[in-house]
Amino acid sequence: MPVRRFAPAWLAAALVAGQALPGAAGAQSLLGVRGLGVAGGTTDARTTALGNLGIGLAGTEVSAADPTAGKDLGVPTISLTMQPVWGEFELDDERGEVTATRFPLIGVVFPVLRARGALTAAISGRLDQRWSAEVPRDVDLGEGGVQVSDRFEADGGVSVVRAGWVQRIGGRWAAGVSVGTYLGRLSQTFERSLDTLALGGGAQRFVQGGEWRYGGTVVAFGASAAPHRLVHVAGAVEWSGTLTASPKEGTGGGPRAYSIPLRVSAGATGRLTPRLAFNASAAFQDWSAAAGFAPGTTTTRKLSYGAGVEATLAQGERRSVPLRAGYRRLAQPFRFGDADPVETAWSLGLGLNLVETAGQRAGWIDVGVERGRRASAPLVEKYWRATVSLGISQF
Amino acid sequence: MRARRQAWRPATVAAAVLLGSCQEELPTSVRDDLVPAGVVVEVTLPFEDFASNVRVYGGFGRASDRGVGFVAHEFGGGADETGGALPLLEARTLVRFGAYPSSASVRDTTGTLRTDSAITFVSGRIVAAFDTAGSVAAGPVEVVAREVTEAWDASATWGHAVDTLGGRVPWSEAGGGPGREVVRGVWDPAEGDTLFLPVDSARLREWSDTAAGVHGIRLETTTPGARLDLRSVSLSLLALPSINPDTMPDLRVSRTVGTFIFDPPAPPPAPGEARVGGVPAWRSVLDLRLPPELAGPPALCAAVPCPVRFDDSHVSYAALQLVSRVAAPAFAPSDTLGVEVRSVLAPDYLPKSPLGPSLTGLAGARFPPEWFAAPAGEVAEIPITGLVRDLRRPGADASASRAIALLSPFEPLSLEYLSFEASDPARAPRLRLVLVFSQSGR
Repeated sequence: MPVRRFAPAWLAAALVAGQALPGAAGAQSLLGVRGLGVAGGTTDARTTALGNLGIGLAGTEVSAADPTAGKDLGVPTISLTMQPVWGEFELDDERGEVTATRFPLIGVVFPVLRARGALTAAISGRLDQRWSAEVPRDVDLGEGGVQVSDRFEADGGVSVVRAGWVQRIGGRWAAGVSVGTYLGRLSQTFERSLDTLALGGGAQRFVQGGEWRYGGTVVAFGASAAPHRLVHVAGAVEWSGTLTASPKEGTGGGPRAYSIPLRVSAGATGRLTPRLAFNASAAFQDWSAAAGFAPGTTTTRKLSYGAGVEATLAQGERRSVPLRAGYRRLAQPFRFGDADPVETAWSLGLGLNLVETAGQRAGWIDVGVERGRRASAPLVEKYWRATVSLGISQF
Repeated sequence: MRARRQAWRPATVAAAVLLGSCQEELPTSVRDDLVPAGVVVEVTLPFEDFASNVRVYGGFGRASDRGVGFVAHEFGGGADETGGALPLLEARTLVRFGAYPSSASVRDTTGTLRTDSAITFVSGRIVAAFDTAGSVAAGPVEVVAREVTEAWDASATWGHAVDTLGGRVPWSEAGGGPGREVVRGVWDPAEGDTLFLPVDSARLREWSDTAAGVHGIRLETTTPGARLDLRSVSLSLLALPSINPDTMPDLRVSRTVGTFIFDPPAPPPAPGEARVGGVPAWRSVLDLRLPPELAGPPALCAAVPCPVRFDDSHVSYAALQLVSRVAAPAFAPSDTLGVEVRSVLAPDYLPKSPLGPSLTGLAGARFPPEWFAAPAGEVAEIPITGLVRDLRRPGADASASRAIALLSPFEPLSLEYLSFEASDPARAPRLRLVLVFSQSGR
């Protein structure tokens, strides 16, 4: 009788998952100043390197955006993605740096072969609100001015936990559905420190803040097809209920509610040669009429898109090494100032498919590197972002 | 199974590496409009709004707790509040030395360190170290060392060689008895802080003989208008060893008992005076009761809706403001002195109530001596932010009063004391608060 060991892969997954709980994900951007923050990529390293938006990429094992991802898997598979970011920002004459590490996607697929389908589950980052500002000021206190340091810090974000089912229909079609919930929290802290020396010692900081918990429902439907053996297409619609932010005990004010607009996405992959594939994807989401936000907060841009190529550099009997390149342009939902924000990124990536059978991977490490730029005048952010995904099948 | 084996090893290693690289640096801007400004208001509460019932307790500690102390001659004087002449201060320091060393470590002619138990004391000197900052003298001061010929102990006072509840033994002559002069010397504060007074070998032998009737020495000064703060007194012996006469080690004899006696005693606190320090020490106690809400001053109400309740989080700074008074010249501070604040844990048992830990740090709040010389009236501020925050902590009884004691960081710290106004409506203690609110007034 075979004994199922507690595989180290599970240990790694548990470690990463422990840090990927809502609130731990962090794109960290000053775009998080308004609205619900900056939208972070929810894609794995292969998808990121290919400039894809998470839909319509042939052979995708785990995805938060494509309910039909994993339809071709024959064995249970888990994928973990990690994303360190090194960036800098310019805001008028000001310059600063950003370093962050996030876990944008952890997903699991359990094929149910008899039903020709698979159970899927994923936790993914969605919006991030981690930023801070620190301003020295002078306040007048009786005998003269006293220097104070004011600091405001926002910490938190919104993640999505979802579970779904993908069903193969015939030899070329598949349909999927996923149901999930928004999770996460936001804490805001205002801290004022007075110049202790000016006051004669013993001055204490003033700290006041609040914390809110996010909640809400999200449902996604998707379909994919292979109309030709060299072509893969997919589309998805994601509907969100009201995103609520409920204050924790001790936090003033009532709950806040935000409407999250419908997201429609589609993509396709075409194999150009046995070793070269091209993909393109786009997503439409209209934030302009979203409720719950201050006027002028949301963007009027609606379309995001991306494209890329994947070339197999080396192909062994059971292993391969693909090289990937891509570009994408994202419509960030919330403005910093008055200008609609735009994020663009060029990407390059390398894969190491450790075990591959009939074109289906069973163990892999993918790495993607992006050079990106976000702009919403007067804010400009540039970043280097690495995305590393680990995939393990038959664990 | 093979696929799993092939995959998990690099995957686990990669995961560990990635997890180890987690470093965070928030994007931090300095833009003014990204940070709400908040509201900072200074509020000064008059005495009747936050405190009551100032009382002064004396008698804490005794002179010998300080060890050596002061020598003074015809110091201070001046007039009291009624115009009457104040007596001049006389102070003397009494010291008794321990047993002489019976041996010394000496290098012999070969350079080997050996213990020599056949040493002979050829001379000695009394070494007196003064606090140059705390001493008051217009110039060089003559210091006289006298043998104390009457038995005394640490309870000695100007009038009594022994002054305890169990019995009092007066000096045959107030001020430490007649005494027998040993040596006199001149200490010049401009030249250093130490005075050496030579003692011959015959005198040393006599002092080591317990049957000789010498009970230590007494240091005093003959210079009018001087008050010297003694930091230490010791006896240094020059010994002649038997194993190497070319070497003469200097052996130090520490004091076993040290105290100082003075006359007159410090005047009792005047009505409306809060006093801290002195020997024995005074403490001043007052009851704090903070108002539940504030309806002023106008600057506060202009910034936040009044009346406004405040809790501990709003209190960034709190300080007790005391107005200095002129101390009796003989006991006026000559150097910076400290005041610390402690909670009175059992007010019903005052003045013997235990006190809580210091709320003002080890040295307390320190104030310069000139604040207590005429015309005085300086505002001395003692930070008590932690205490006020405790009083306004959620769950604390806002209506309860808390007794606090103002005292010296060490008791007794000095012959000098600090004097503050306690009841004059215009000069009574005040509470300075620096309150911070968010823009919403929370």
